[in-house]
Amino acid sequence: MALKTLEIIKKRLEERPKEIEKARREGQKVVGWQGYNIPEEIIYALGLIPVRIGVGGDDRMVEIGARYISTKNCVFVRETVGLFAENNDPYVQNTDILAFDATCLQTYRTAEIIQYYFNKEVLILGVPRNFYWPEAKVYFTKEVEYFTRRLEKQAGKKLNYQILADTIGLYDRIRNAIVTIYTYQAAAGNYLSWEETYDLIHAGYYLDRREYLSLLEQVLAELREKQGQPFIEAVEGEARIFLSGSVLPPGDKKLIKIIQEVGGRIVGDDLWSGLIPYLDVKIPENSLQGLAVGYLNRTPHGALPYLDLDTDRRIKRLKELIQTFKAQGVIYHTLRYCDPYTFKAKETKDILQKEGIPLLEIHTEYAGSDLEAIRTRVEAFVEMLKNRYDEEVAV
Amino acid sequence: MANVSAFAGVDVGSLGTKTVILVDGEIAGYSILRTGINTEENGLHGLETALENAGLKREDLKYIVATGYGRISAPYADKTVTEITCHAKGAHYLHPQTRTIIDMGGQDCKAIRLDEDGNVTDFAMNDKCAAGTGRFLEVMANVFKVSLDELGPLSLRATEVLPVSSTCTVFAESETVSLLARGERPENIIIGIHHAIANRVGGMFSRVGIESDVFFSGGVAKNIGMRKALEDVLKVKIVEPKKDPQLVGAIGAAVIAQNSWKRGR
Repeated sequence: MALKTLEIIKKRLEERPKEIEKARREGQKVVGWQGYNIPEEIIYALGLIPVRIGVGGDDRMVEIGARYISTKNCVFVRETVGLFAENNDPYVQNTDILAFDATCLQTYRTAEIIQYYFNKEVLILGVPRNFYWPEAKVYFTKEVEYFTRRLEKQAGKKLNYQILADTIGLYDRIRNAIVTIYTYQAAAGNYLSWEETYDLIHAGYYLDRREYLSLLEQVLAELREKQGQPFIEAVEGEARIFLSGSVLPPGDKKLIKIIQEVGGRIVGDDLWSGLIPYLDVKIPENSLQGLAVGYLNRTPHGALPYLDLDTDRRIKRLKELIQTFKAQGVIYHTLRYCDPYTFKAKETKDILQKEGIPLLEIHTEYAGSDLEAIRTRVEAFVEMLKNRYDEEVAV
Repeated sequence: MANVSAFAGVDVGSLGTKTVILVDGEIAGYSILRTGINTEENGLHGLETALENAGLKREDLKYIVATGYGRISAPYADKTVTEITCHAKGAHYLHPQTRTIIDMGGQDCKAIRLDEDGNVTDFAMNDKCAAGTGRFLEVMANVFKVSLDELGPLSLRATEVLPVSSTCTVFAESETVSLLARGERPENIIIGIHHAIANRVGGMFSRVGIESDVFFSGGVAKNIGMRKALEDVLKVKIVEPKKDPQLVGAIGAAVIAQNSWKRGR
């Protein structure tokens, strides 16, 4: 199934750490960032190298992180701290400045820990707790302005608004390409799996964004040639699964592998490490306020409290995406101590149940002790979906 | 026996291996053995014992379905199906009005909802820890120096329910030891343990809901004290099983074997 461009991307990812090292020697600075609401366009427009840091799936690294941060924080956060403690990750080694947003408060505390123990320079971007209030626009614009001033200091230059406009255009094209590729992976007769698409998104955390766009466009060209016009439909015998919930960062493949091994087909997601950051981004004007408003109007992150379920944009978008990708069920992944998504599991399940969409919550962390227990649950869920949608394969 | 079409369900659980042979839709034989270290051999031994019990030979079997945690090492099976689906089919076979199952096995505990055809509509399982499982009760029986079978009847002699935590087997064990050291009556502690498990099961039902008729399956379902605690805590009436509740998963697997063979799969 593999496309030629995927091989090129794999090779470029292997080469990328050395390139970044060289760029630093030549005076460029690297901004390692983590979060959901960092307007990366500003970092890139200032000539800084943005790298989205943080990986998952390594329990050893979690334990190293736990020497510095409470074990009552999620494993992603603990592993992030572990990365800095061990200091072997080439991207972490090559980070000059760290940028974290205050969307998830555990991530925010990670920034505090990293600054305290590892003496890294950290910039924090404040995020309004309620994206729906008019005051949120004022607050977030001020935060983005302050964030930009601090980045300008690091870059040693002022933000050029013509370059910013070009960068917004570049990022819009990246976002559009990713959304289109998602349509191809969910279609019948697909040449690209959801997992490959997900890896493709993560490649964009590290590669230069202009090159990344060019590679995405090559992927699209290959898909158009092989697959033609994508048509999303449920095929007999499939268990089409939509993934939602807590972050699944690069390296955390436990759940993804299990779903595939037991015969499920992942067709979409609304993960903040997946598709959702690229959806619904409309930057109304070439200004910092324009960027702030564009980011505020996206689907809000699950960590932000919002109690009115009828007007919750996250729930609305989730339902739309399930329909778009013709998913038959949702696997809602929650990491232990990822409170925001864990708290929302029951309400999300109840809402989807009213629409006839079953939801399975998988509560886990990176240790392998629950591997077989998760396999049983996911396999039973796949059996249930197949029974619901295909009487012939019913058991 | 000439021209017999027999179907087998083999449920290799963490503590027990259960096998059921179905002939013409009726249970012709079964076996319940302690699970050893070789999962494949356990399943095969269970199969041989159940066939012997039914007076049948291996060649009489048309289709075998394996389930339970040991299903991943069952090359003798034509198909593997999860125990969640099997318990639903098994409970439906024994009591077609079943809409909710509480399954307590050796190392996990499940709340399963099903429709009128015995298809799973929703389910929840305990996360990670052993509290609320057969293993948990085995550890507790060991503390009281009684057999597992004695725990249930003992709990019915309680005069009050002493609160015991259910978050962790090891902590619950040390809490029990402390209560005994304080001079509390064993029966009152044992009923407290059963109520702690029932409360934990109640948490799972808050996720999937509960609807009558309620069926209690798995090895722990043989414990009358557990059954009583569940009825008291969940405020439900649990149906009387017509067969050994430990066999429900294997019965479901045998039913699926029969259905699969009929469909040519």
